[in-house]
Amino acid sequence: MRSKLTLIIASFVACGTWIGAAALEASVGQVVGLRRLTQNEYRNSIADILGKDISVQGTFEPGIRIGGLTAASTAVLSITPAGFESYSKMADTIAAQATNEENRKRLVSCQPKSAKAPDDACAAQFLGHYGLQLFRRPLTAEELRSRVSLARTMAKSSSDFYAGLRYGLATLLQSPEFLFRKEIAVPEGKGYALEPYSRAARLSYLMWDSTPDAELLKAAQTGELITAAGLEKQVDRLMASPRLEVGMRAFFADMLMLSTFDNVSKDGLFYPKWAGPMGGSAAEETLRTTIALALHENGDMRDLMVTRKTQINRMLASIYGVPFSFKGEWAPYEFGPETGRSGLVTQISLLAMFSHPGRSSPTRRGVALNEILLCEPTPTPPNNVDFSEVNDTNGPRKTVRERLMAHANDKTCASCHNAVDPLGLSLEGFDTIGGRRERENGEMIDVSATLAGKSFSGAEGLGKFLYSSPKYPACVARKLYSYANGLNSEEVEPAAFKDGQESFQKSGYRLRALIKGLVTSPGFFIATAEHIKTVSP
Amino acid sequence: MKLDRRFLLRGMFQGSAATMMVPFLDCFLDSKGQALAATGQKLPTRFNTFFFGCGLTKSLWVPKTAGKDYEMTVQLKPLEAYRNKLNVFSGLRIPFDDNPNYQHWSGVAAAATGISPTKQGQFDSKTIDQQVADVISRGARYKSVAAAASGNAKESYSSLGGLNTLPPETTPLSLYTRLFGPGFQDPSSPNWKPDPSIMVQQSVLSVVAEDRKRAMMHLGAADQARMDQYFTSVREVETQMATQLQRPELTAKVEIPGAPESDLVVNNALPNIRKNVPLMSRLGALALATDQTRVFNLSISEPGSQIFIPGDSLGYHQSTHEEPIDPILGYQPRVAQYNVHSMELFAMMLKELDGVQEGDGTLLDHSLVFAYTDQSFAKIHAVDGLPILVAGLASGRMKGGYHIAGDNSTVSRVGLTAMKAMGVGVDSWGANSMETKSPFTELLA
Repeated sequence: MRSKLTLIIASFVACGTWIGAAALEASVGQVVGLRRLTQNEYRNSIADILGKDISVQGTFEPGIRIGGLTAASTAVLSITPAGFESYSKMADTIAAQATNEENRKRLVSCQPKSAKAPDDACAAQFLGHYGLQLFRRPLTAEELRSRVSLARTMAKSSSDFYAGLRYGLATLLQSPEFLFRKEIAVPEGKGYALEPYSRAARLSYLMWDSTPDAELLKAAQTGELITAAGLEKQVDRLMASPRLEVGMRAFFADMLMLSTFDNVSKDGLFYPKWAGPMGGSAAEETLRTTIALALHENGDMRDLMVTRKTQINRMLASIYGVPFSFKGEWAPYEFGPETGRSGLVTQISLLAMFSHPGRSSPTRRGVALNEILLCEPTPTPPNNVDFSEVNDTNGPRKTVRERLMAHANDKTCASCHNAVDPLGLSLEGFDTIGGRRERENGEMIDVSATLAGKSFSGAEGLGKFLYSSPKYPACVARKLYSYANGLNSEEVEPAAFKDGQESFQKSGYRLRALIKGLVTSPGFFIATAEHIKTVSP
Repeated sequence: MKLDRRFLLRGMFQGSAATMMVPFLDCFLDSKGQALAATGQKLPTRFNTFFFGCGLTKSLWVPKTAGKDYEMTVQLKPLEAYRNKLNVFSGLRIPFDDNPNYQHWSGVAAAATGISPTKQGQFDSKTIDQQVADVISRGARYKSVAAAASGNAKESYSSLGGLNTLPPETTPLSLYTRLFGPGFQDPSSPNWKPDPSIMVQQSVLSVVAEDRKRAMMHLGAADQARMDQYFTSVREVETQMATQLQRPELTAKVEIPGAPESDLVVNNALPNIRKNVPLMSRLGALALATDQTRVFNLSISEPGSQIFIPGDSLGYHQSTHEEPIDPILGYQPRVAQYNVHSMELFAMMLKELDGVQEGDGTLLDHSLVFAYTDQSFAKIHAVDGLPILVAGLASGRMKGGYHIAGDNSTVSRVGLTAMKAMGVGVDSWGANSMETKSPFTELLA
């Protein structure tokens, strides 16, 4: 039995070129990246490989924001027992669905000799096929052998060939080779560079937020992806697909910290309009606006800072004070110049996420915008800060501005607050849920600000300030590069994303040019010396 | 007594019948209230943690005198019913050694590990609940279970060290499902039998585990540790499955309610947290009573608590920094109110534990509950004098009713005392300046 199985596997294996796995087996490869799939990456991968109808139900361990991006935490987090328990259950229910009577017609391409008995050849074909897609590389002979063997045992004991497939598939779905993306580097020239399957996965998860498709895997298998022309061909193909939207939504959701809404509560007594799904709607508005401008219109990314065009639904319309008389759930809308709305920074999302439950916070808004849009994180304040001036609304200082100024006059506080507060103060015309207001505690709100020697007023002024700041496009390039590679954006050297940034600038700040410039840069797949050094023999 | 489960749940999950709470649990016990004594099995001692953010107000919580018979204080008052099963610790030190005072973190880590943390948001060792679980959890289905009453998936202070935080259940329904959903078999059911599907899953896991050698190859040191953690997790789930094939030795006479039809709202608004805490605590207590787990961790907020009372535009954390100290009272009045709410929520948890009769006492008598926080004086991020409260009598190994007044000891002495009471064989606990070999022996029976 054993020798027969080996033969079957050998004949299956002979069809593939074994670059990734072979590199590792031959001990020349080094794992230079180990990225835990995000929830979205997992879900998208399952949908692409097994079909959109497969339901994925379970909890995923949360990521952590590092250097402004949760993507960076995928390179440092592991899987805890509770996390694995959940993955294991999901693997079982997914595998059960994929092999049930309804789906097996679509997903199992070979016909077993009998539906009630083991069939190693058909099992090997099925498990090898989905193994390649799930592991993003061909299985090793041993990986396939142990699974075919399990399938045989299970098929025999239950007199059901498909039960064997189910449990074999379940092992693939909870393997670390699926749950983590291994990036493997092999010697190239004087250093190390990613082998083709790792390149395929890096490109695909960046651009589509999902696993490489058959054509990309083929390009990895044939080695086409290592050539400049082959790479460009695939990059152009990935970028031409509507799925680029999925990938870029995931990036912007991370960069704009939209998951902050998971833990934002608003005070229903003051703000009854803020109900359950409002956070999700606000995040969706921002993503729709961003994708429309960056991809559908192929626009100048700086315009995101000043545009009055948006897309709203009924819930958001109530906060914006816009009568919602449109057909459909979402509708494009353009604010008038008199509304004071200008750019992403005046959308409900960014205004509401960085405020208190019942009160706006220029400092929180300022800190967030500096980090998100300008890549300038603010150090934590000293431990012993006297805030009493800021909070005393009964005193002579009626507005937040007056109260903030009181402690920003202190030298230690001022060093940060002077860089942070002006951004937020210019947005004081919007309350904690992003509604428009002109007065606070009876006083007219002053929305003037001075930052880096430039004076401006209100959100419109802030938008123009951000539009013309060279730090903003540089920050987008830095974040996209860090996102693609799972790095702490604060620790990335500008040289690493220089090519992308230049092509971004030359194109008039088109997102596609930035992506292409980054991923076709000669350094994009080079493994850094520090990675190689830390690898144990 | 026969119960209508649907009716019960309506009471349980819609909060429409607060008056049902006491009879609710009684119904689950047999008529004599001798939940577990009948089996003659030795009850395990369970361990719980209760985390609350932003501390208490020193002038309002620290009893004036040390030892027993202290005069009850304003902020401990909600716990009065349990004072004989409670020890409170004041005036303990938290030296930072060469590390900074990480805001809202150094205190958490010092209390939970006895180690001054070297990174914001990370523990430098396993937290106390995991150290205890390593010793006491063999034979229980889950090594430990965590729940976050505010619904924040990041709000867990149960950790394997570093970035390996054990994720919490974030709603009563998800906690219910984990504990009593698919895969749960009531140990007291006469029809109990090993579930054959578990054996199938064991075969699946053994194939996954076989890949270990190859998966560990060619990894850098940090990634090797992460991959090792993955396989440790696989092993733990394998152990969990093996446990499920054995009928639990305990046969608690508690009845498990059916699954709720809908979930509660979870967020940082205090009224919602006040609804979630009793439910999560009760599910935790039922899990402990039926040996689904022996370690239950409940947090009501993150450090730097984001809890807010509707109508308070600042909320708890921001109030600790911005509310002026009232010159006459000598403290921050609104913050003090939030502090009391924390203790009320703690009392809700104790009520559920104390409400389960087993053997010669209650679940609380056979448990230890380690309650701690992040700051002693949140306004200035101070940690010396961090409030720690330990409830439960650890099956007679812990005495109750004491106020331990600080004598320049480090906070790690509480952790060591708890470890000793749980029967964990350690001689010292904590590291560097907080390493201690001196438990509070006066508390250990």
